[in-house]
Formats: sequence, structure tokens, C-alpha cells
Amino acid sequence: MKVLVLNCGSSSVKYQLIETSLEAIEKNEDHALGRGSVERIGTAAAVHTFQAAGRDKVTDSKEILEHRDALADILRMLAHPERGVIAGPADVDAVGHRMVHGGERFTASALATPEAIRAVQDCVPLAPLHNPSNLRGYEAARRILPDVPHALVFDTAYHQTMPPVAFLYGLPYVLYTRHAVRRYGFHGTSHRFVGWRSRVLLGKPREQTRLITCHLGNGASVCAIDHGRSVDTSLGFTPIEGLIMGTRCGDLDPGAIFHVMHAEDLSEHQLTTMLNKHSGLQGISGVSNDMRELLEAEAKGHERAKLAIDMFCYRLRKYIAAYAGVMGGVDAVIFTGGIGENASPVRARSVVGLEFMGLKIDPAKNAAAAGMEADVSAAEASVRTLVIPTNEELIIARDTVRLVAGAEQD
Amino acid sequence: MEFRKLGIVGGGFMGRSLAQKVASSGIDVQVLEVSKERAEQSRAELVANLDAEMAKWGITASEKKATLGRIRYATDPKAMVGVQMIVEVVPEDLSTKQSVLKKLDAVLEPDIVFVTSTSTLSVTEIGAGSGRPDRVVGMHFMHAVTMSRLVEIVRGTATSNQTFERAVGFAKTLEKKVIEVFEYPGYVVTRAILPFLNEAMHIVMEGVASADDVDLALKLAYEFKVGPLEYTDRIGLDTVLRWMDHLFRELGDMKYRPCPLLRKMVRAGYLGRKAGRGFFRWQGHERVRDGAPAGAKESGR
Repeated sequence: MKVLVLNCGSSSVKYQLIETSLEAIEKNEDHALGRGSVERIGTAAAVHTFQAAGRDKVTDSKEILEHRDALADILRMLAHPERGVIAGPADVDAVGHRMVHGGERFTASALATPEAIRAVQDCVPLAPLHNPSNLRGYEAARRILPDVPHALVFDTAYHQTMPPVAFLYGLPYVLYTRHAVRRYGFHGTSHRFVGWRSRVLLGKPREQTRLITCHLGNGASVCAIDHGRSVDTSLGFTPIEGLIMGTRCGDLDPGAIFHVMHAEDLSEHQLTTMLNKHSGLQGISGVSNDMRELLEAEAKGHERAKLAIDMFCYRLRKYIAAYAGVMGGVDAVIFTGGIGENASPVRARSVVGLEFMGLKIDPAKNAAAAGMEADVSAAEASVRTLVIPTNEELIIARDTVRLVAGAEQD
Repeated sequence: MEFRKLGIVGGGFMGRSLAQKVASSGIDVQVLEVSKERAEQSRAELVANLDAEMAKWGITASEKKATLGRIRYATDPKAMVGVQMIVEVVPEDLSTKQSVLKKLDAVLEPDIVFVTSTSTLSVTEIGAGSGRPDRVVGMHFMHAVTMSRLVEIVRGTATSNQTFERAVGFAKTLEKKVIEVFEYPGYVVTRAILPFLNEAMHIVMEGVASADDVDLALKLAYEFKVGPLEYTDRIGLDTVLRWMDHLFRELGDMKYRPCPLLRKMVRAGYLGRKAGRGFFRWQGHERVRDGAPAGAKESGR
């Protein structure tokens, strides 16, 4: 089955065409036939990039004014006689859409029925920047591919199993009932995927595992997974809370925000931009939001690059220990995302000092693990440390296949 | 209809602010200036505006680059071909505005809407000299266009409904709230604020209270963010005087008679923020607070 996976932003569409089936999922053998993106939608110089698996990347620039034109262009590219990977649009069997916010309504991925779409629209106030773009992409794809099933896969859905003690804030309760202010968490598809892969690798059923998954990319979050269910996660009502991220601040005393707003005479927009785009690794180091560049700068003796990395690892270490406490123990800690999969020093520095709870990394194994599945634990460790590359598009394709086949989601 | 490219005539204070707002909304901007030197100066100040916003964490370096990349300058009206709408922000002078629009009328498609940004002149009169009166509409943006959430859209006598709706669509693209105004001197906001500013000056002139105390009182009493006299300084005393004179002449109503203190200060060159001195002292964009009692109280908040 060929699933077109779409991730629509306000002026961009990222896509992959993935060949998958229930059998391929079981064998972990499903794969992308091609991937691409259309950027700068709405301009006369939109850029369409596409790479078929095993072939060179091609780039087109042309006028693409709305998501619908972008979708049409994507199908033309996929079915292009020389560059393409399918004979025609009819070869696409289903479409999987990445949706940012499913609120409390979506506890799993769902087929895009009119009722489901209305429910996503109801979640717009919770994600005013993302859900409208996601919906626009969905509507465009529905028009162009009206006869195939469309599935909605939410960043928030996996975390809906969190109990109230974990998802509520210490605010007046009425804010939850009136405005749905609570922790939702994000990166749900990624945490779910690496949780599942780690159970396969450990050879243990979900009932016997307590996992802490660390998704460390430009955005980052930690998740406590008990019995296969998310019981706590570090991102909150918006994707600012928790870990220090590339450009986002993570946990912060709200009192500091109001002080800064007055002291620097900032507008609400300036403040929001500061917390989202000028903070985190970038804000602390003054060098970069990119962990690779920071590690290089640190090696050359840059003090604040070192400080930023230290703070990143320190915050993560606190969360790992806290989530072990939440679950009354832990069987494995999993690193994923661009930083988690590749930055071995970050992995090592984030678990240092946690030997007391059985967590210990083998330095040689850790240094060797980059971008592939690996067990980097020391021989004497009672808690495994795993590296598992995530693949959010693959998860979206798999959920789509399972929904179409009526199979259970893992 | 989605906006992809806008033409702005005039790269001055308002023109730059508008260009910045429009470009940061993802729309290409073609700015028309009178000379290469003026265009270069305008662009340099635009860069300074963006740098200041970056220093306040409002945008990132890549957003600055993207915004600048969408703004192009030209001195030939033919460069405006291809824009979907024209906004003129040239100096407040009837014949200047009319001749600019007339020139553009000759090179642009007849269905392109011309927006005039006048705050005091008659949209009807500007339109009458433009060659396409039914496709001329007024849009009164507040400074700074990047921050303000309001725009008054002004119908001249000949403005068509379709033209008005085009202006409303443009304002929505910029995420501004719109009020519909039927042309009348001062529209709504200018007409309402001027007597208020004028009255604050009278209070100072009559020795009833100090400038600091007048501003402090009105800010605290009515939750204004800025007091009327500081606001006058920010607008420029000469500009306020010109508006008052205009309304007074146009309508002949005593309530628009400019406060004599205002006229006197303008004659002395105390024009407000841009001159470093008005009702208060200024250094660059910031008030200088020299330990005057009211100022000290305020900075201690």
C-alpha cells in the first residue's frame, strides 16, 4: 500500500510516499519511495524539492499560490515519467496527515470523517498557528484525492493517557473546565514509535516495561511510558515547557516573564518570540541552536557554548530521575531525535550521576552509536540505555494503514 | 483573492513601516521612490528598524532576511506593473498625491485599486484627480503600522463597494481591525484625539498642572498607556498643529482652535521627540527622565 504522508505548515508542505502494509510493519521493512517539500507557497517563486529513494535530488521553482496548487504539483512530481516513483495519482492508496493538536477529543489517530474534521476545527484555539495550516492541507488533499481514505495523526493523542495529577497545572481548576488549560504534550508519535521499538528490542511485553523516552531535536521532550502508555511528558499546554530546546526556554518561573516584560518594555508579540525563537541553546550560548555547532564551539573553548550544553543535559537528567520516580523505577532510557540519535556526548552527560538507579553507559558503545539502533548500556547496568532513530512520517503511514485495515494501533 | 504583491509609493516613515508589516506577512512589496538616493536611505532605515525589532527579540535574523528579501525599490513608475494594489504614502499635499496617482494611472491596469493614506485631505478630491475615482479609497494606518491593530478605511464620494471590499481584504491580510468611515475631516480617531491633546496643552498653559502631572494623571485615571503630552511629542508638535489648523479652517468650529502654547512651541522649534525637545526631553527614541518628581515616581513603578 502506498501512503502519501503530508505535513502542512502555513507556507510549506513536507511529504513522503511510503510503501507499507501490516506485514511490512511486523517485519519493520516498510520504506519511503520518495520524499520532498514545497516551500514558499503563496509566492511566484515557490521551491519544490523532491528526492526519489536512491536517486539525486531535483529542485523546481515556480508560482504556487495555495496548498491546492502545491498538492497538484506534488502529485505531478510523484508521477513524473523520469523523476517520479508512481505511474499516476491513482497509485496513491491513502493519505496520512500530520495534525499538531487533537485536544482531549483524539486519543489515537483517526480516519478523516466530517465529524473528525469538525473536532479538529474545535481545537484551533489551542494551536492557532498550526491547526489551520494542517486543515488547509487536508482540504486541498481531499479535493485532489477524493476517493482514497485520509487519516489524521496527532502530536498530542498519545499523551491523552496521562492522569489528571500529571496533566493539570496548579492553577484555578476553572481554567481547565473553561479554557482547557492543561498539559497536552507533543511529539506523541515519536515517543510511541521508539517505545514500541524498544519493547521489540528488549523482547518484553508492554506490561513489563517502564520506559523513559527522550526525543531530542530542535524541539525536545521526555516521556514516561508505563505499560505502553504515556503517563507524563515534559511539553505542556504549548511546546515551550520542559527541556531546554534549540530556541525555546523550557521550564521557567512565570514571575520572571512579567518582570522582563516591564523591565524591557516588551509587547506580547516580542515576549512570545523571545521565549520561542531567541531562548534555549541559542539564547544561552549566543552561538547557535544547533547541538553539533555547539559541541564544536565547546571543543574550541567557548564558555557559553559549554554552559548551554551543560544546562541542556542537566535539565534532561532531572527529568529522567523524576520520571523514574513517577513510575517507581525504569527499565530503559531511550534517546531519539537528531540530538538523541547522533550526539553521543549529550547522551553521556545526561545520565552521568544516575548510576545510583542502575543507569550506566558504555563509553565505547555510546561513541560508536550514531543514527542507528544500538544498546549503549554498560555491562553492569540494570537499566538499559538505547538509541533508536525515530521516523514520524513512517509512523503516520503505519497508522494510516492500520486505520484503513481496521487493525489495532500500537 | 490572496495578496501576493503590493505597491507602495513613498519610502518615508509611514511607507517603511507599512512595507515592513506587509513584507513580514509574506507579501512582496515594490516601493516607488523619487530618487536613487532616497531609495537607498529608505532601505538603510528599514534595516535599522528591523535591527531594533531584533534587539527587542520580536524577530529572528532569518525573519529579518526574509522580510528584506521581499522589499524592492524602484524610481520608475513602470516598475509598479504587476502589483495588485497601490498604497501611496507621499507627503500630505493634494497636488503631489494627485500627480503621483495620475502617473500610475497611465501605466497600471484599470482595475488596480489605489489606496491613499491621507489623514487630513479629502479622499474624494484625491480620487477626482486620479483618473479612476471609483477605484480610490482611503486607508488611515496608525503609526507604527507594524504594531497598531487598527485601520480606518475611508470611502470617498465616488468609491465603489468593490473597491472598499478590496481594502477590507487587504487590511484583514495584515490582521488589522477595520472601521468603515464616510469621508469627513479628521475621520474618527484624529477628530476625537485632537481636542483631547489640545485640552491637555491648555491645562499646562494655564498653569493648572505640570506636563508631567497631566500625563501621569490621565494615564493612571483612564489606563492610557501614554499620556496626551508625551503622545503629542511622539507625533510631532508641528504635525498636531497642522491637523488642528486644518480642522479649524475646514469646519470653523472653536473646539478645534489650536492652543496658543502649541503654536509658540512649534515656532521655537520644540517639535517633540524628533527634535529632542517638546513637552519633554528626548534622546533618540527614549524619554530623558531627569529626576523631575512625577517622572521619578513613574520610573519607580
